[in-house]
Amino acid sequence: MDFGLFSQYVMNGLMLGMMYALVAVGFTLFFGVMDIINFSHGDVLTVGAFTGLATYLGLTAVGVESPWLVLGATIVVSVSLMALMGALIARTLVLPLKNAPPLNTLLITLMLGTVLHESVRLFYPKGANPQRFPSLLPTDAYTLGNFTLRIDSLILLAAGLAVIVGIHLLINRTKLGLAIRAVAQDEDTAKTMGINFTLIVLVTFAIGSGLAAFAGILHGLYYSEINFAMGLLLGVIGFSSAIVGGLGNIYGAIIGGFLFAALQTLGVVAMPFPSAYKDVFAFGVIILIMAWRPTGLIREKISQRV
Amino acid sequence: MPSPAKIPPLISALAGALGVSGYLILLLHVEEQLAIALLLAGGAVAVLVGVRFGIGTRVTGLAGDHENALNLSAVLVVLIVTGFFYEDHFVLLLVATVIIFVIACLGLNLQFGYSGVLNFAGAAFFGIGCYTAAVMTKNTDVPHLVILVAGGVIAAAVGSLLLLPVLRTTSHYSAVITIAFGLLFKIFLEVNDTLGGPQGLRVDGMNVFGWEFNDNIEIGDSFEASFYVNYIVVGLILLALAFAFVRRVERSWIGLNLDAVRLDETAAASFGLNITRWKITAFTLGNFLTGLAGALFAMMLGYIAPTNFTFGDSLILVSIILLGGIGNPWGLVVATTILIVVPEKLQAIQEYRFLLFSAMVILILLFRPQGLLPRPLRTYLPGWQPK
Amino acid sequence: MSKFRLTHLVAVTAAAMVIGLATAPADAKTTVKVGFIGPLSGGTSSNGLGGRNSADLAVRLRNADSKAKYSYELLVQDDECKPNIGVQVATKIAANKDVIAAATHYCSAVAISTVDVYHKFGLPIIVWGAVLPDITYGNTYKEVHRVNGTMINQNETAAKFMRGLGYKTWAIIHDTTDYGKGHDKYFTQNLEANGGKILGRFGVTSDQQDFLAELTKVKSLNPDVLYFGGLTPIGVRIRAQMEKLGVKAQFQGTSGIVSDTFIEGSGPLAEGVVAFREGAPTEKLPGGKFFLAEYGKQGYKEPPEAYGAFAFTAMSLILDTIEAVGPDRKKVRNALNKVTGSNAADSITGKVDFDDHGQNTIAVITKYVAQDGKWTVWEDSDYSAGKRMLKGK
Repeated sequence: MDFGLFSQYVMNGLMLGMMYALVAVGFTLFFGVMDIINFSHGDVLTVGAFTGLATYLGLTAVGVESPWLVLGATIVVSVSLMALMGALIARTLVLPLKNAPPLNTLLITLMLGTVLHESVRLFYPKGANPQRFPSLLPTDAYTLGNFTLRIDSLILLAAGLAVIVGIHLLINRTKLGLAIRAVAQDEDTAKTMGINFTLIVLVTFAIGSGLAAFAGILHGLYYSEINFAMGLLLGVIGFSSAIVGGLGNIYGAIIGGFLFAALQTLGVVAMPFPSAYKDVFAFGVIILIMAWRPTGLIREKISQRV
Repeated sequence: MPSPAKIPPLISALAGALGVSGYLILLLHVEEQLAIALLLAGGAVAVLVGVRFGIGTRVTGLAGDHENALNLSAVLVVLIVTGFFYEDHFVLLLVATVIIFVIACLGLNLQFGYSGVLNFAGAAFFGIGCYTAAVMTKNTDVPHLVILVAGGVIAAAVGSLLLLPVLRTTSHYSAVITIAFGLLFKIFLEVNDTLGGPQGLRVDGMNVFGWEFNDNIEIGDSFEASFYVNYIVVGLILLALAFAFVRRVERSWIGLNLDAVRLDETAAASFGLNITRWKITAFTLGNFLTGLAGALFAMMLGYIAPTNFTFGDSLILVSIILLGGIGNPWGLVVATTILIVVPEKLQAIQEYRFLLFSAMVILILLFRPQGLLPRPLRTYLPGWQPK
Repeated sequence: MSKFRLTHLVAVTAAAMVIGLATAPADAKTTVKVGFIGPLSGGTSSNGLGGRNSADLAVRLRNADSKAKYSYELLVQDDECKPNIGVQVATKIAANKDVIAAATHYCSAVAISTVDVYHKFGLPIIVWGAVLPDITYGNTYKEVHRVNGTMINQNETAAKFMRGLGYKTWAIIHDTTDYGKGHDKYFTQNLEANGGKILGRFGVTSDQQDFLAELTKVKSLNPDVLYFGGLTPIGVRIRAQMEKLGVKAQFQGTSGIVSDTFIEGSGPLAEGVVAFREGAPTEKLPGGKFFLAEYGKQGYKEPPEAYGAFAFTAMSLILDTIEAVGPDRKKVRNALNKVTGSNAADSITGKVDFDDHGQNTIAVITKYVAQDGKWTVWEDSDYSAGKRMLKGK
């Protein structure tokens, strides 16, 4: 295969991997802090994307012109609203079920996710149809042989990486991050040390949901389109990636995300069957990996009180 | 008035059957939306009032004690309703669908209620049963009753592929594996042309010993019953068998083992129970039932496509189990009836159905996680009272 | 009597009273029910809603006519452009003994699966928007009719026209439903007969999100034209992702993308896209101006879209037939089968003449090009006059 074509595939894979990684990091944060699986994450991404779209439409309707201003506002509004929503979800649905079997939390968040995307479908004007997402980034492209590099794809990739690095720094170099890690490690000891458990949980959910909103907007900018069902597959993929990397481990989540994208791209390029099988291939491999290493590639130590 | 305990169970059963049939007939017959809404509201109010005044617990206690009478009255209700609507295709289709879904949910119930493995790919296994029926009716001469069983067997066989990952992982991980499988199944069907692709497949109607199920039943010149009656009868027989089976398993030592595994795996293991074996049993048996139901459904509908078996459909099955009360087969019957009949009759909510179901499950999980009819304490023999 | 039973009794009695009161006094004319099925939600909903409004228009005009023998009620169902939902709602309508006939389906994938249902229940139907030939030619059911054309003529014209413009090589992307596969089959036949070369062929699922893999391969093949056999939702995505990857081929679609939704969804990228459809554009139809005027008077929220006129024709024909032979399914079916030759019916879309498979012959194929945010007839556009150029010219 010629180099240009190969680079194109690599570029596609990197973009996908980054979106999956952003979602996976969210899942891992939720699990780390509360030992729960929050399945509404993918649909929070969808709502974030639609909020961004609505903000854009609102701003253009009142006549704001500058694309950078609109882009900035879209991201800020969407991320903050979703952060609030994440905190709200934590407050009303997750914290009350703290002592219930974890399966109940999985179920309730799954159902919440359904409520979210059905609400978008039913209440957003023409919500059932795919919506055009505006191209807010410059669209110049450089062509080298068979490889077309568009500026906007590059910007998106860079932005995504920046956010991931930012999260890493937040978790590892700040006091807030220290508190989050403490709660993730041992809730009771953290409380004894004076950490406000509820606050940390709310903040973690806010961060995770904000990440989802950002990923949603990225998705919209990349495909120039959003639709109400986009969260489901992304959520499951993000979650599988987080698991493969080991729930609770941020690096694992990032690796898992890129691994899934790599599997999909491999499925398209190297395998003899039509590209539509790429999801089947990737999911199949994930199930196999989970059979081989049930707690993820980066082993997790569990101990359980009997 | 004599207290309920003193009335012979048979009479209570008949009276109950008539009352419930009457309500259902009225509900199914009426077309005007306002009347339907009123009926539903009336029914809900009646139930709430009953629960408030303690009638509810007495009725369920009574039912638990006299299970045979309850079974009889349930069968009576179905027969009465079917008889009343013998010509109305659509109502009978609804009844048959409810019966088939109850069988499928019994399978899921076995997996979850008795051994704690939550299967989010219920629609996928149902679909495996459907596609088996489609392929086998078209391409082979296997008798259709055997095809039903084959649907179940193949669903169980495919399920066993998932066994290794499901067994090696703990509760929410295994849930995710089933979610991934459910998605994988639908995508696989859509891209695969041999199984019809997104266009789906036609399925021949059932044909048992020459009796063609897809022809209306005609007796003489004037009596013509809808062909759906055939499917209702078969469904009812299968349901009775499945129900009896599930009850027997629950009462037996197998059921005891499954309960122990669900309640606390580690404790069960320390008692020497072979967890793996019981989980495999529950998972496989559950998939068998679901696949069996799927095969019958396919033959009744005559046409299946991948979009019948989405993740949303699996979630509906899970909602039924949660609403009905985990582990309680009667709860399943009530929940299935509600979740299938109500959206069909209340056209206004047809579009909002996923939204409403999800919201409902959230409320249940927050306020009444045991469901409508929570599973009563294990009874070893019907009517047995501790001395 | 225990409180439980008393409450229950009261509730039932109340319900019975409400039902009794709600029964309206009988109309002077008997009410006859007719059905309409189309995609009212999802990516192709604009066509479904346009069709529904048009059928509704036909029913309203008839009900406003004092000479009509019956008063008509339209039962509408949404098939969501999914085969299994289509079968479900088709069963609902067909199993309802009060429905005498129905105008059905825009999506071919749905129409081909429901023909068996209509035959099983003996409901005469007229298809108003689906173009797959097998719907009428793949069976000998007396119940199935169609007023719009099939994709055979569409692809014949398309191949000749595009070759005539000088394009030599094609890549084909089609969806994997019978609709997409049908387009692939007929276009390939006609293109090869006209000397065109097909460099590559890709099947995609009808709800696929990401086409970068297929489009990257297309890019490496470097064809003159990218032919797309599928519906609007993925048409929009493919067009957008073509731009992202820098695929420079001319985009050619079928009747599946001739909709306002495609233009809305693609924005500026729609400019210069070519597509083909059977039947003249609505304004140029024999009864087109009348239809559009009446449609406007009713104030529907959605435009009739490409196939609204056909839905109107289908429903009008049904209503005419019921007026002539009475509300009986068998009689309506037989009467529809006689609408042929000298007994052809007049309609706003021209003569309706069913052949022995219930298929109407539509001679005209319209070539469209998207210009300035509207689907413009080729002959009227700047492109044919040479003022603007298609890709690669």
